[in-house]
Amino acid sequence: MMELRLHKELYASDAIGVAIEAFAPFAQIERREESAHWVVAIAAKPGEDEPQIAGELGNYALGATVDGVKREGGTR
Amino acid sequence: MTQESQVRAEAVDGTVTLSFEESIYPKDAVFGAAYVLLDRAFVHVDRKEGRLLVSVRPKPGIGLDASLVAGEFENEALAQAWRREILSENRALIEGVTTRALGGAAGPPGLDDLLDASVGELGDAFDDPLGIAVSWEEKYGKGQGQGEASGAVESGGAGAEGPAKEPKP
Repeated sequence: MMELRLHKELYASDAIGVAIEAFAPFAQIERREESAHWVVAIAAKPGEDEPQIAGELGNYALGATVDGVKREGGTR
Repeated sequence: MTQESQVRAEAVDGTVTLSFEESIYPKDAVFGAAYVLLDRAFVHVDRKEGRLLVSVRPKPGIGLDASLVAGEFENEALAQAWRREILSENRALIEGVTTRALGGAAGPPGLDDLLDASVGELGDAFDDPLGIAVSWEEKYGKGQGQGEASGAVESGGAGAEGPAKEPKP
């Protein structure tokens, strides 16, 4: 199992939710909240590459966050 | 570990971690740089003690060295930060040009626009203090003018029919 720690002030909560939904077919994914971070626990399904899923999920969340910032037209 | 004034880099197990001074490299600039590299590397951003920590790891099969990707990230972050600075400095100019372009596209002003227009200290655009725009009839009275004219015609007519009388002193 791998864990991604995504800072609450940097990653949009909605973006993380969308990323988890996108990668749900490939892994068991759970999210929990800590003081400054969202912690996403990833357990890949058999035959899947866990580090790659974790990396792609992080990228997806970051990309969705940036897209959200661009739509809002400024700094979050 | 290398240390520069605003950026630090550390490489561990194929992952390079860059540390950006947030007052120099705004969050949006770092995000913009990350966005550019999302197709070639796994990028993770975190914040610690006023600095943005960016972990960059090339994706498998891309064939790029981590330090090369990290260097590209630094360059892109600098470009993004500088672009934001230029945009901020030229915002007023860009808005002015855009406003003028849109104003020109609206076409010539209508009568209502001219009536509402201000000509500064000269007052209203349609002020007429000398009465130049007032018609002759309005200025001197239509009925009075016609009466005088008809009297002249009548006296002339009488003169034509009979012998002209000598004006009395």
